[in-house]
Amino acid sequence: MGILVNIITSGKPEVRDQAIENICAGMTAAELLGECGELELFRKNNRNLYHKVRALFFLYVIHRYYLLFLPETGSGALVPFSVWEHILNRRFEEAIACLLEIQQLKGLNQGVSSALADAYRKLGFQTLTEQVQQSVRSTTGNNWMFRVGHPLDHPLVFRKEMVTKDEIAGTYPVIREATPVRMDLSHSCWSDIFFLGMDFPEGARVLNISVDLCISGEEETPVPPVEACLRVIDEPVIRLVSTDLESMVTITNIASLFNFAEDYLGLLKAAVIASGLVPPGMEGLNMPVSLVLDRLVGPGLGFELVSQVNNIPKGSRLAVSTTLLASLITACMRASRQTRHISGGLIEEERRLVASRAILGEWLGGSGGGWQDSGGVWPGIKIISGEKAHPGDPEFGISIGRLLPTHKILHFEDVSGETRENLQNSLVVVHGGMAQNVGPILEMVTEKYLLRSEKEWKARRTAMAIFDELAGLLKEGDIRKLGELTQRNFDGPVSTIIPAVTNAYTESLIASSKEKFGSAFWGFWMMGGMSGGGMGFIFDPKVKNEAKEWLLHTMLREKKRLEKALPFAMDPVVYDFRINEKGTTGTLMKGEEALMPLKYYTLVAPLLLKKEMTQLSPGSRKELELLGKVSRTRGMYKQLMSELFVRMVPQQFQKNERLLTLSELLDATGFSKTMHEEIKAELKAGRIGLARNRLPVSVKITDPQSEEVIRAVSSRPEVEKRAGEEALRKRELAIVTLAGGVGSRWSQGAGIVKALHPFYRFSGTHRNFLDVHLAKNRKISREYGEPVQHVFTTSYLTHSAMAQYLASTGSGEKDGLFLSPGRFVGLRLHPMERDLRFYWNEMSHQVLDQQKQKMAENLQNTLINWTRQMGEGDDYTDNEPEQCIHPVGHWFEIPNLLLNGTLQRMLRQNPNLRYLMVHNVDTLGATADPAMLGLHLASGHHMTVEVISRWMDDRGGGLARVNGLLRLVEGLALPDEEAEFNLSYYNTNTFWITVDELLRVFGLSRNDLDNPSLVTAGILEMSRSMPSYITIKEVKKRWGKGQEDIFPVTQFEKLWGDMTALPDFRTGYAEVPRRRGQQLKEIAQLDGWIKDGSAEYVNGLCSWE
Amino acid sequence: MNRMETWKIDKALITSAGPDQRTLPLQTLIDKNRKKRTVLEIQIDEILSAGIDRVGLVIHPEDEDLFRKHLQVYAGKMQFIPQNEPLGYGHAILCATEFLGGEPFLHLVGDHLFLNQTGDNVALRVIHAAQEQQCAVSGVQQTRESLIGNFGTIGAERFQAASDLFRITKVVEKPVPSFAEHHLLVPGMRTGHYLCFFGVHVFSPALLPILQKQYQEAPTARLGLSDALHELARTTKYLALESNDWRFDIGQDYGLLKAQIALSLTGPDRDFLLTELLQFFLEREKRNND
Repeated sequence: MGILVNIITSGKPEVRDQAIENICAGMTAAELLGECGELELFRKNNRNLYHKVRALFFLYVIHRYYLLFLPETGSGALVPFSVWEHILNRRFEEAIACLLEIQQLKGLNQGVSSALADAYRKLGFQTLTEQVQQSVRSTTGNNWMFRVGHPLDHPLVFRKEMVTKDEIAGTYPVIREATPVRMDLSHSCWSDIFFLGMDFPEGARVLNISVDLCISGEEETPVPPVEACLRVIDEPVIRLVSTDLESMVTITNIASLFNFAEDYLGLLKAAVIASGLVPPGMEGLNMPVSLVLDRLVGPGLGFELVSQVNNIPKGSRLAVSTTLLASLITACMRASRQTRHISGGLIEEERRLVASRAILGEWLGGSGGGWQDSGGVWPGIKIISGEKAHPGDPEFGISIGRLLPTHKILHFEDVSGETRENLQNSLVVVHGGMAQNVGPILEMVTEKYLLRSEKEWKARRTAMAIFDELAGLLKEGDIRKLGELTQRNFDGPVSTIIPAVTNAYTESLIASSKEKFGSAFWGFWMMGGMSGGGMGFIFDPKVKNEAKEWLLHTMLREKKRLEKALPFAMDPVVYDFRINEKGTTGTLMKGEEALMPLKYYTLVAPLLLKKEMTQLSPGSRKELELLGKVSRTRGMYKQLMSELFVRMVPQQFQKNERLLTLSELLDATGFSKTMHEEIKAELKAGRIGLARNRLPVSVKITDPQSEEVIRAVSSRPEVEKRAGEEALRKRELAIVTLAGGVGSRWSQGAGIVKALHPFYRFSGTHRNFLDVHLAKNRKISREYGEPVQHVFTTSYLTHSAMAQYLASTGSGEKDGLFLSPGRFVGLRLHPMERDLRFYWNEMSHQVLDQQKQKMAENLQNTLINWTRQMGEGDDYTDNEPEQCIHPVGHWFEIPNLLLNGTLQRMLRQNPNLRYLMVHNVDTLGATADPAMLGLHLASGHHMTVEVISRWMDDRGGGLARVNGLLRLVEGLALPDEEAEFNLSYYNTNTFWITVDELLRVFGLSRNDLDNPSLVTAGILEMSRSMPSYITIKEVKKRWGKGQEDIFPVTQFEKLWGDMTALPDFRTGYAEVPRRRGQQLKEIAQLDGWIKDGSAEYVNGLCSWE
Repeated sequence: MNRMETWKIDKALITSAGPDQRTLPLQTLIDKNRKKRTVLEIQIDEILSAGIDRVGLVIHPEDEDLFRKHLQVYAGKMQFIPQNEPLGYGHAILCATEFLGGEPFLHLVGDHLFLNQTGDNVALRVIHAAQEQQCAVSGVQQTRESLIGNFGTIGAERFQAASDLFRITKVVEKPVPSFAEHHLLVPGMRTGHYLCFFGVHVFSPALLPILQKQYQEAPTARLGLSDALHELARTTKYLALESNDWRFDIGQDYGLLKAQIALSLTGPDRDFLLTELLQFFLEREKRNND
């Protein structure tokens, strides 16, 4: 048995909890491969979920962090396209089998190991997800829902009182479910992820509090933030209304209830399904929903389900969506006799059923939370802990723990009323305004738990001890110490396990709180997921009120300072809160009391009022009459008339204002209407498009011979390096950092300036990309005694923020630091349907897990309808102006240096300047290495391109012979996706360029730079010979309170790599180490980047002071 | 005295006072011997043929004359028991305390008809099981989960490896499937099937004090039977006898029609009825095609 298999199976914690790093670090390739063989055999023949998944993650780690970096691991294109397809289609076993065969035949290879790492990791997560889904389905109380496949088999019936109309008021009763949200007092290092609970139940514990909230200063008293209302209606349909999303849909067909992407009401649909009203077994039925309603409610009747979230935006870290789902499910269950009582609280068994159905609902809707997220269903303060699986549990024999945890409510004898009061008097709860996707964080947590990496495992043990201490302090009632402890938890275990959990914004808030309040600031409380959204600050009660106001002011100020650097979705808010000692509570309202929430009527009443009275159903007429009455007499309904006015008067002004701003912006940013109209016409006529980006299939694409690429990896002659050093001393080199893009993949379309994102803590401080490049420059400049000139290219999206940032550092042109503002922008277009279809159907995409994939496919149809309605190929203007325009590709960023006079100013400042090192803002390892400069000098090439050996995820083209010509080729231009898999080298987009040769190909010389018309003519001439690529990008549209929609838009770009095809611009290629050439494109890469030593490597290139 | 004699059952109780079922038992059917009879008459004949000679009928006080008129032929064997307040099923049984006299008794609901393939007496099997086991026995039937919302349903375990007897552990009135999955799974049942009351019971005298106690605790509330049966199961030996016979709830949609068809198909009119039905279908198809 292999050492690692022994670790997995050992019953002794000291063996089982060993870190894989300590074992693999000293192993040879043969030993590592031996371990892989054992693990592979073991994981295939093992039924135990934990064993299987840990083996898969061990295999991933060996390939990703060890085999890939061994000197004997070869490069070259060995991974066939079929493997890529297998992985995209989630056929991981097939991909692994194929890759292992190649490895067996050809030996160790970087491409193969990177692909194996990817496949093992994804298979690990898929295995986990499937197990969670299996457990949700087989939870007792839910089984029947998957068996009921036809309306005639529907077993539920609404309670009699629900279908009994009040004779006088003419209303059906309304069930109103009011549910508090949950706060997590312990954080416990994400121990509420399902897998941890199922594998390490004793380590899965949280202190969870149900709270009511209101926005401080805006509302009077905290109330349960989540509400669900349900009532019978006189139509055989299901009507779903979300008052906070201002959205309403009427379901008439069962199939459309299962389409979660066609509107904003996926959560309500999931609730109807997960509660069993239309059970999940009916998915796929194309039948009128009235067939179900006939049995469920009664002939000719239907029901209406309304959701309301009171002023909590997305990203609050208060589990709002799970709580809302639970609230809606509870209301549905009450109506259909699935709870003992129609009103009041729930009994424990019912709460557990609601929790399991909320998990089911999240799975159906393609989202996911933790197992503590339904905590608001329970009352007050409770400890939620993982539970071992026992015989009879569906998990028994498969995992150590159960899917569902147990909830131990802490009563007043456990935590006194005084302590509860003190906690409320000390804690300031805020929403910092950031809304981020925590999915990648949860994956990282799972991975780290499985690998038991020394530092992280120790942190988890510490967090467990902190939990015990915290629970103790809560019993003792010492809130000051509790604050110290939550701060210690955040600074220690939480930040150790996931460094990315904190950010510059949070850190600055904590630091300012300490500075301002000194010992009266007791500590920061990390609420869950990631910081920046929902957070807690614990103060001495004496200063709490002052601190509340100060925090709001400080958060707004810091948001303003950082809003281009970090993804804010809204303005920060401070909440008032109160512990809710009841948990979810239902009220049955009858007669004239049977009204929906006020916001419901502001949404629905205008539709009714627009109709003739004679067209209204008797029920609607009665309801309007009742509304008229209560709007004069009853509390909050008195606002109804004014709210209706606001809604019914068309709000045209705002729209005009927005269009005007966009057109002003276009004028200010060098937008060429003529060029835009030409591109638009070409696109509409089908002469350009995604399919047309591709080279014809007759073009021969081959992998270059290995001697065509200079091995910068292996040691080069010392003389080259010395020449490079000499050139640096003479100031012959300048660095050009391409920073015009917004990093759509990095921020998922949030529109921040990627260069300014403080993504990692180097030397104790959060640093952004710009800081890193400046620090590398600082180090080189110090080593060679002369400052290296440095240009950051910008665009309309990035310029002012970057200029402001650089100004704040006190550096400028006098220090050799330049900004080169963009001179070209494009206006985004609504995509053509054929391009969208090509994008989704012809280009490879990762198939998601079953339910998410269904969601994605449903969404595609919705988006196609959207673009048809908006006008295919027409201007995209329905968003913030800055989200409507786009940078036109990095090709323009070099000519811009000529056009905007930057190069000229640089030459004036430093006539010795002869070479440029151009690189992407996210290529953090690219540094002005004298050896590389010397290599470029010695080669005599006009341009030297840095390439790296291709790994699995390096997609987007590379170095190829195209009909015999060695050049870079864009992935977009390859005749088919398979061609890329024959290419061994990937383009890092780092170029060493000889300035005079660059000018020459543009038909210019140094002396022409002060002649703008000559420069413009040269650039336009060259631009015509460069291909334009049509691309589909995803753009976020923000609305409501932190809500975001993502739309595909069409834009075009020209890329610098195409310069390598110019016959009179001699280009050479040098293979560099991966750490130098790799780019950070997605936040999810960060963890691997830290773990594989890349972060440390970059740190070594920098001088921070 | 043998075991059978200790548990001699010579009284039967039929309840027919519920607001929805007051006159249902007077619906007329053609029985398997081609005789036109009311549902109640068919039931009483079955009871009498099981060796029972006294039948109590719990009715709404206003209905006594009507029932008396219809049941003249059984004069002397019948006792009409008025339920003066509509306080539920359990209360209806409680009204018969005096009539039952502290003895075990057969109980049927008035709006059901019970049949089997062979035409044998359905109640007799339950009576024999009760006498054999000397305890309360209720007839139960495997029921799909989609229908359990219509019946009293039991949680149970198999009794001494007998093929058709179960020890009742829990009784719940009209449960929803989620609850049933948690509490009412019976070993050996098919997935999604539960044991539901068939409508034929032999109750031990212990039931009435339980009902009485529950009634006293909340004299104005509706008194169901299921809670009392749950208590009976908790405190005494109480078995369920699984039956494959047919039960027809004539209060349900088409209940009477189904009962009529089933009755006719077990008697001499079987061929006639089948031919008539077939003829009807054929003609209907023909007309549709024309």
